Amino acid sequence: MDVSELRHCIDDRPEQGVFRVHHKVFSDPELFELEQRYIFERTWQFLALESEVPRPNDFVTGWIGRTPVLVTRDAQGEVRAFANVCRHKGSVLCRSERGNAKYHVCAYHGWAYDAGGRNVHIKDVKDGCFAGAFDAENHDLLPIARVERYKGLVFGSLSPAVPPLEEILGELRFFIDLAMEQSPQGMEFVPGRAAYTFAANWKFQMDNGVDFYHLTSTHKSFIAVQERRSTGKEGHQEARQFDWSKRLSQEAGAFQFRHGHTVGWLNQAEVEKRPIYPRIAEIRERVGDLRADWMLKLRNLVVFPNLQIADSTSLILRTFRPLAVDRTEMRVRCLAPIGEPPEQRAWRLRQFEDFFNASGFATPDDTVTYEDCQVGYAAQPLQWLQGYARGMATVEPGASPLARSLGIEPVSSLQGGFRVQNEAIFHPMYREWARLIERGLAGEEAYA
Amino acid sequence: MSEARALLAAGEEVLQLEGIYLDEQRWNEWIALFAPDCEYWVPTWLSEDTLATDPQREMSHIYYANRQGLEDRIVRIRTGRSPASTPMPRTAHLVTAVLALEPPTPELLRLRSTWSSHVFFPRARTTYTFFGYAHYELARREGRWVIQRKKTVLQNDYIPTMLDVYCI
Repeated sequence: MDVSELRHCIDDRPEQGVFRVHHKVFSDPELFELEQRYIFERTWQFLALESEVPRPNDFVTGWIGRTPVLVTRDAQGEVRAFANVCRHKGSVLCRSERGNAKYHVCAYHGWAYDAGGRNVHIKDVKDGCFAGAFDAENHDLLPIARVERYKGLVFGSLSPAVPPLEEILGELRFFIDLAMEQSPQGMEFVPGRAAYTFAANWKFQMDNGVDFYHLTSTHKSFIAVQERRSTGKEGHQEARQFDWSKRLSQEAGAFQFRHGHTVGWLNQAEVEKRPIYPRIAEIRERVGDLRADWMLKLRNLVVFPNLQIADSTSLILRTFRPLAVDRTEMRVRCLAPIGEPPEQRAWRLRQFEDFFNASGFATPDDTVTYEDCQVGYAAQPLQWLQGYARGMATVEPGASPLARSLGIEPVSSLQGGFRVQNEAIFHPMYREWARLIERGLAGEEAYA
Repeated sequence: MSEARALLAAGEEVLQLEGIYLDEQRWNEWIALFAPDCEYWVPTWLSEDTLATDPQREMSHIYYANRQGLEDRIVRIRTGRSPASTPMPRTAHLVTAVLALEPPTPELLRLRSTWSSHVFFPRARTTYTFFGYAHYELARREGRWVIQRKKTVLQNDYIPTMLDVYCI
């Protein structure tokens, strides 16, 4: 693929009211490689919460694109990240998802590293008859080029040239703060692993996480179950789910940010169903009424490209990682205030499981439709998709009065009833997607 | 047959019926195998080798403190509006290695089973096998055995696309 062909992937003509995405953005196998190289290996990628590695020598493992990553807290208390591969033969070094280890020993030939990535042992080195050139080489773990933190979130980038994390997150930080400041002690993941795959492109999840339009069709069965529960007598009452008929008449909107980030929001009819509600007085005191009120609203964020922090029926953090052009791995975590009282923790868990699990009432209906799209995108007559047009006539460039009241400067703002169910919310993600790949193809740095 | 063996056989029949009713989509009969206050729990794994132990503090794949959540599942399937449930996946449950975890009594059985569930997804034309083991508490109520507690351990928890109660 060259730059001219890439320009036929996204048809972006806002002055004419046109924004179209070509199906090959989701289906061209060549793009998988380009996305790895020019998006996943050049942007900031979420690695872990600081609270996942609270003590020296704690570690978690993860990925940046195709690169296995080891995140540790070293003996001095610094959070570090390394390519999780032994320098000797490149085998995956740490084969556990999480734990505490002063040393990581490769299972293949026994080379060992400390939590700071320093090579501390080369098995039988004295008898190895190594030439001097080997001794002169560095044998430590390969560090991830950049590691930075924001409000307890640890990000890494394989690109040394990426601008500072806070600069890339930009104005989106207001919304990240709303998720990460729900407790004076910070936030944590509730223990438990929810990992699943789907046979479709990763960008279906990127879109769907901020797609308001699909709710009343894809999740019709969930809404039906919720109607049954709404009498208060039948169904899984412990989930304390929101009444969709009340939600769908609320005011909603979106903000588009630089660097591909986007946010959708919806006023919350039943704020008392939020598990933070019993603690709202403490939150108001600490962060002020404006931010506390926004913590109670529905807010779905895409931190481009593959991190979503969403608070629709429960506060979650999702990452999705392409395994192939038509295969994606998802991790979904239940994000919770540290020190949350047990009753509210159980309440949070029931809300989370009900909607977001791959074994829940909503996510399975999403993932199978991604797969149906992936099949559909092979249809020969289908070229341009028509799924990026809703709400375009309501986009206001720059900060709306609402944005100004929040003290943020988005690239553009949108506001209207829920029924707009706007799709303009997707635009910044595809603009940044195209920009990054174009830069890569042109042999330029990702960020000027 | 000794009384203990007869009790175990009666308990095993409930476990086998549970699989059969799911495979044959006899949802009302499946629901009726559970006591209204049945606890139904599918814990997550916390790591490769540690299983969650407390559904109030740790994530579960599914946790219901009573049967109502299972009823919701059937309501959802019956709407015909769940893309994940239309067309309905077809299943075959194999339930084996049923043993008593403690000596059976005429009022209470604590059993374990090893299970596998073959699931065919007609939509995707793919097949997947979920497997694991389960612990049961069966109580004698109104002259019949009902499940009053079930904990299902999903051994292969890297879930392909979706998982529902009929997959396990």
